[in-house]
Amino acid sequence: MLRQIWIVSALNFRSLKGRFWQSMVIVVGLGATIGVLLSMMSMTQGMRQAYFNTGDPGRAIVVSQGADSEGQSSISRAAAPIIMSAPGVAKDKDGKPLADRQLNMGLPVLRKNGTKGFTTMRGFGPQGVALRPEFHLVAGRMFQTGKRELIVGVGARTMFQQMQIGDKVILPNGQWPIVGVYTTGDILDGQLIGDTETMLTALNRTAYNSVLVRLTSQDALDTFRKALTTNPALQVTVTRHSDWYKKVSDQATGLLAVLAYVVGVVMAIGALFGCLNTMYAAVSTRAREIATLRALGYGALPVAVSVILESIVLAVAGALAGAAVAWLLNDGKTGTWGVSIFRLTVSPGLVGLGVSWAVVVALAGGLLPSIRAARRPVVEALRAA
Amino acid sequence: MRHLPLVWAAIVRKPMRAVLTLLSVTVAFTLFGLMIGLNAAFDTIAERARADRVYTWPRYGGSAPITVAHQIEAMPGIKAATGLNFLPGYVQDPKNQAFVLMVDQNAAKVFGDWVPPDQWNVVWRERTGIVMSRMQAQRWHKKVGDTFTIICKTIKRADGGTTWTFRVVTIVDDIPQIFNGFIFGNFDYIDKAKPLADQGKISEVDFLADDPANSTALAAQIDHTFANSATPMQTITEKLARSGNDFGGLDVKKITFGIALAGMFMVLFLTGNGIAESVRERFAEFATLKTIGFSDRAVTAIVVLESALPCVIGAVLGVGLAAVLARQIPKLMPPTFSMPMPTMSPAVMLWAAAAALAVAALSAALPVLRLRQMDIASALSGRA
Repeated sequence: MLRQIWIVSALNFRSLKGRFWQSMVIVVGLGATIGVLLSMMSMTQGMRQAYFNTGDPGRAIVVSQGADSEGQSSISRAAAPIIMSAPGVAKDKDGKPLADRQLNMGLPVLRKNGTKGFTTMRGFGPQGVALRPEFHLVAGRMFQTGKRELIVGVGARTMFQQMQIGDKVILPNGQWPIVGVYTTGDILDGQLIGDTETMLTALNRTAYNSVLVRLTSQDALDTFRKALTTNPALQVTVTRHSDWYKKVSDQATGLLAVLAYVVGVVMAIGALFGCLNTMYAAVSTRAREIATLRALGYGALPVAVSVILESIVLAVAGALAGAAVAWLLNDGKTGTWGVSIFRLTVSPGLVGLGVSWAVVVALAGGLLPSIRAARRPVVEALRAA
Repeated sequence: MRHLPLVWAAIVRKPMRAVLTLLSVTVAFTLFGLMIGLNAAFDTIAERARADRVYTWPRYGGSAPITVAHQIEAMPGIKAATGLNFLPGYVQDPKNQAFVLMVDQNAAKVFGDWVPPDQWNVVWRERTGIVMSRMQAQRWHKKVGDTFTIICKTIKRADGGTTWTFRVVTIVDDIPQIFNGFIFGNFDYIDKAKPLADQGKISEVDFLADDPANSTALAAQIDHTFANSATPMQTITEKLARSGNDFGGLDVKKITFGIALAGMFMVLFLTGNGIAESVRERFAEFATLKTIGFSDRAVTAIVVLESALPCVIGAVLGVGLAAVLARQIPKLMPPTFSMPMPTMSPAVMLWAAAAALAVAALSAALPVLRLRQMDIASALSGRA
């Protein structure tokens, strides 16, 4: 049986050259579909990547009970030290807890294309950098504690106006100069950072947004959480940093992913009709050849399988071509959506999604023609001109 | 057109091919309509945006003292300024988000194009009066005279209450810039009901410039004036705020046209291949036509017509389907995220017609060339 499938399919593929343009309908149809799908998904993928990179399973974030975002959360000055000295928090070589009080605020910006946008401005406490080994200064210097200074991420510097060293950012009660540029390789690249305590005073705020801690080990989360949730003085939610950013990422990418899927499905339907058309035509062109094989004793199943196989191979070729185009056009470029700045990514996983998408279309588009090919009475097909 | 019977006969000879081609073309044009229609909606918004209207609000959220509005109105070059407050909340269930824009009487000047002046007067007459745009009236099933109650947990009344009751005194048409419609009410009603310490605060100032050419400079001037104050302001002209390509930072034009083009490219291969095959199958027949005196022009017309028919019909069906689907989009969108409804404007139809004809012409080009150069004798004998 397998041998029959092999022989019939091989025969198919050898005759493809004669049906080149007809077959190109499937290749181009799925190429366009997958190219568009992956181009759109390169945004959600890149954004997801940036958020996932931000979350570290060895860290935990503490926000006020039930808060969905750092912006909604508020941790009082009194609560912060209790959280930072809780069991489960790692200590540095001086015995100080590796934990940081953080501030978060929306910062209105002008994008380079002239439209208005928002990004996040973050406050780092004394342990902010120690907590994040991924943080590197790439130009200028670090902001000084107690001074009204900011540093800018590489992504924010690329995407927004007036974000070079020496530029000033308007904040309540004064303008703060940018003194350095940093990179973290994650979502923080699109943001700005200043000193938590100085920002707190300038913004007339009385509370932090969150506390970030390094756990003694990844398994220490439960100890840490238990210590905080059983403390009646605190009303907080403890989340592993990586899980926190998975949730944030889902919120941020949701709408874009839906749009990508909708466009992808509509195009796939269009490609499906093209695929059906081509495979019906292929089956009818090869009617005599198929009938001859059947007359020689080949089964109906190998014939049907060979038709579906052909449609899948063409579709996958198209999908790979489309993925290649999507990769060339998008991969590595800086993208922005809402408050997020990230690198567009056409990952192997995405290519895999595109290929499976194409295989589904090819299966659907090859099935009916394959049944027709297998069912056609041999004598009638042999007689037909 | 007299060749239509010939063309029709050619198409129905392979009904499966005809139907599948038409379906594929229809789907591609549905996508085309939705994409170009979305872009057209953004374009309309950008066009309708007024160059002389400017928005300014506290850069870091929260509220500013109402004196900011007075200060701005007193600046030279400004016609009128209105201080706004937002009343965000929900109707009955937290899922049903809604908000009312609370404005003072200067709004009649600043937003005279949203709500006609006589309708503004109807609002001013009643303390709890609100004007709803049709879309909002439809969403909450309200007609003139109905009460409308919003629950707002963030803005407290002096008596501690969280519900705000209004009466719909008039309903007006929507404007394209505001995707989900709007509701305006009296600033004083909310302001005076708040605790004394919270009164006299605004969350936005909107104003008209005397000279549209001056509005960008005025915006910069206001940012500069308040930059070092306790409430730095963020100012933007309506023109800039609504300039297309402002969909979360995406370049709408590039993306919509890119997707539409990809769809057309897909279809081009399908129809081009279809017509080439159809001509190849009937090569001898075309030779016969030429023999009995059909000119090259007539033969060309037949092929072009055969290739144009599915493109044009598909374009009409596709754009029609897109128009139907577009109307469903607002219902499917989460209320917190607004996206303009794709509009099938004359420009969109023109684009669709151009695309359909381009696909038809490109598809027919090679077969036509082959037919013109055919050697009739060998074609008739089936040797070509």
